[in-house]
Amino acid sequence: MNARHVGIIAKKEFFGLNHEKTILLAVLLQLFVAMFSSFLMVGLTSMYDPSSLSTATRVRYGIALAGSSSTLDHLLGERADFQVYRMDLSTGIAALEERKLAAVIYVPPTPPDAQEPVQVTLYTLQNDIQTAVVQVKLKEVLLEYEKELREVRETRLSATPRDVRFPAGPRSEGFYEFVYGLLIPLLVFMPAIIASSLIIDMITEEYQHHTLETLVSTPVSFTEVVWGKVLACELLVPVQAGAWLLLLAANGIPVANLLPVLLLVSLSSLALILLSALTALHYRERTAAQFIYSTALVVVILVVIALPGNPLNVIVRAVSGSSGMDLAGTLGIVGAASLALAAVTHRYAERIGREAQLES
Amino acid sequence: MGIFASVLTIARWEVKRSFTTLGRNVLPVAVVLFLLLFLATGFTARSGMHLQDGIYTLGIDDPGLAVILGGDTRFRVFSAEGDALLADRGSYDLVIVEGQVLLPRTDRGRAAQKTLERDYRQYMSSVYNREEDLFAAYPLWIDLQDVKSELSFEATESGQYLSVRQRSGEPPVPEGPVAEVATPAPQLPVPEEALREGLLQEEGTPDQITRYTGLLSQEPGNLTFRTPSQLSPPLPFDSIIFVFAFIFPLYFTSQFFMMSVMHERIERKGEVLLASPVAPSVIILGKMLPYLLGMVGISAAVILASGAPLTVLLPLIPVILFFLAAALLIGMLSRSFKELSFISIFFSTVATTYLFFPSIFAQVHVISLISPLTLIVLELQGEGFTAGQYLYSTALFWLTSGVLFYAGTVNFTAERLFSELPFFSRAREFVAATLSREHPFRSVFLMNVFLIPFIFMVQMMALVLFFNLPLPWSLLLLIGSAAFIEEFAKSIGVYTLFFEGDARPGAKTLVLASVATGAGFLVGEKLFLFVMLTQITESVFGSVLFLQQGILLLWLPLLLHITGVLTVSLMLRAGGKRWYLPGLLAATVIHGLYNLYFILGWMP
Repeated sequence: MNARHVGIIAKKEFFGLNHEKTILLAVLLQLFVAMFSSFLMVGLTSMYDPSSLSTATRVRYGIALAGSSSTLDHLLGERADFQVYRMDLSTGIAALEERKLAAVIYVPPTPPDAQEPVQVTLYTLQNDIQTAVVQVKLKEVLLEYEKELREVRETRLSATPRDVRFPAGPRSEGFYEFVYGLLIPLLVFMPAIIASSLIIDMITEEYQHHTLETLVSTPVSFTEVVWGKVLACELLVPVQAGAWLLLLAANGIPVANLLPVLLLVSLSSLALILLSALTALHYRERTAAQFIYSTALVVVILVVIALPGNPLNVIVRAVSGSSGMDLAGTLGIVGAASLALAAVTHRYAERIGREAQLES
Repeated sequence: MGIFASVLTIARWEVKRSFTTLGRNVLPVAVVLFLLLFLATGFTARSGMHLQDGIYTLGIDDPGLAVILGGDTRFRVFSAEGDALLADRGSYDLVIVEGQVLLPRTDRGRAAQKTLERDYRQYMSSVYNREEDLFAAYPLWIDLQDVKSELSFEATESGQYLSVRQRSGEPPVPEGPVAEVATPAPQLPVPEEALREGLLQEEGTPDQITRYTGLLSQEPGNLTFRTPSQLSPPLPFDSIIFVFAFIFPLYFTSQFFMMSVMHERIERKGEVLLASPVAPSVIILGKMLPYLLGMVGISAAVILASGAPLTVLLPLIPVILFFLAAALLIGMLSRSFKELSFISIFFSTVATTYLFFPSIFAQVHVISLISPLTLIVLELQGEGFTAGQYLYSTALFWLTSGVLFYAGTVNFTAERLFSELPFFSRAREFVAATLSREHPFRSVFLMNVFLIPFIFMVQMMALVLFFNLPLPWSLLLLIGSAAFIEEFAKSIGVYTLFFEGDARPGAKTLVLASVATGAGFLVGEKLFLFVMLTQITESVFGSVLFLQQGILLLWLPLLLHITGVLTVSLMLRAGGKRWYLPGLLAATVIHGLYNLYFILGWMP
């Protein structure tokens, strides 16, 4: 195999990408995603962890209290984010329907030390973004109220659970685990998935446009053609993934172990690219290859994610700066897997090349 | 009848062709893969996602507590003597000594604390759940009641969120009649043991996933009576699930259609079909029919599987048509597979954005109705939608699909299909083919009428995007982008028809063309507005997009539209193609200033 030939093929593919302005489209796509990302961030984070909504707004919400008075009056009144009104239940609900209130709470006359529980009724607007925020805030107050009631009834409890006390202070906004544990692995593997679908296009194109004969009649061998294409796709991965990580760092999300992470991403992507190259070499037709590959990809991702200590987990721990992960070991395993796949791809490409030569 | 028969014949060929290309060695592998997929899903569901394993380290002096908290794989737990832990605090994210949690004041430390607090709460509930006296452990129960906001569709026209905040100390007074609401009974209507069973059942099931699976299968499983810790906020972002469930299968299938169109172009395979005595529209219809039926079938299957009402299919049909129309054009336009991949990824991202983001605001704002997904959300909530709402949110999809299909049909010729020009030149050719050279002014006029729905789509997207910014910026950005989009759209016709190659049309032609463009644009806009968008145009944002308020005379906007396009074309004439962008920007500035003048009453 001639390294120069591989380089020429890789250059040809890059030129093709550049010529077709597809790179431009990819950049545009990234920009588009970035544009919506602030929105995406709030949306996805709250899906991942709805309680993060509680810090989303800083306004006072009107709450109507109906029924008997209790310590809840006091607990709600203390909060800066609620404006509490004593109201008649029916009037309160009518005002809620007109969106003049955020919630109505009815408290029954049950005494705190009664045998039966205190059953509070909470009226909120159906499926409303503000209801979500208000409910998270109300939950904090109700937990407090529950604690008070529980203390009143403490003598009736039998078990003594282990006590853990948490320090007071600002609470986490819930973005940390989402950003490091979900967003970053997603972002760094996106280029790998794009690159591996790209190589299917590159290989099947030569078959379906019958340009392969021309290419192989030059001094470049078929194996070199395949490796050139793999190289072109592989080079795109660390560039794109690195750009994402640097963008995150610029947005105040520091990324630890940048270089080893990029190395791991590149090696894992190589495995994916080789897998899709093999699929493309086998089917030689885009629809079939893309279909089989994307289904196989989902299977692979599902299995990998279910394994403890998988490369994605290692990346999460590496970028967040956690200690005690086996970065070198994972690099070794992923590297070995890529090498094995590379050997298979090489053999397969050589065989196809020989067959093609025999035919011509 | 003859046309119908040919459509069916071509549809049959299409099915046969796709089965022969896919059939031979793909089907067995696909079956194996789907089996593997099934097994892998089961495996992952059982062993859980190991994505965030060990991201925090936790040091505990109490081995018993270490066992309890070690159940969460996010923590790597170490047991050691309290003194040793305190001396080596730096190497742990969290340290628990004698029941007191110590943590560094960093984002990471706080995130770890939050996770630990949640775990501890779970442990506490597992203890309380087994208390003899359940109502001493859980003295507070909450009965959650949903109240439907009775606001009519028109009431949200102000273009702002309806706020529930209050400023004064006075309790709010409802304007409408007050309906008598029965006082809730003070006793729980559910026996103690049933409540305990519910609590025990919930133990250990992560609510993150179950609430989404429950959403689609619509299990009534959720308790009406909850303890405060069981309160989980209603999700305003349910619609993302609908995107996955309903829209993704559609992308997948439209890919096959895209590829099938592309396939005809490889090595001029489609020449045989083109040479047959059937019209291009018949070929397209025939090729599309299997995919259309397939997509409707898949959607129906998803709907039936999720137990949703079949009326959900109604808003999906225009979306399916839109995807197919776009797939047709993408398949006809791209020169290589790489280009096909990128353009289709780009298209699906943009389309998802358009469908997904507005529907987040279902029930909050009228804007949400521009996405048909909102109708699905409404339907699944059991509210249904009116014919007017259906028209409002799907009209753009019907109209744009129609225009796209027309463009596809006109260009479905050997000359266009097998040309090897770059993407943008081809796109230009495609546009040029829809225009008539014999009646240039008439076609420019008509083209601008038909461009209106596309402009609205793009502007709606800008509206949704900028809506989130604080008010002066959102308005200014909207004015700028709306003006730019309109000027760009208006220039397309003139640019393709009169500036082909190195052509330099005379000033008189350009003036006439500009008048035709401006008139077409105005007619399209007004037609569309009067039929459709009275709702949104009454808000302050709407008036930016489709300025009409305060201008009773039609000649003013007409003059503006003509001036804009004339600016671009005169600059093109004077400086050649390099002056296209500066011309556009100049027209945008004029247009923007005009809008500012009328909306904000700036300038004396």
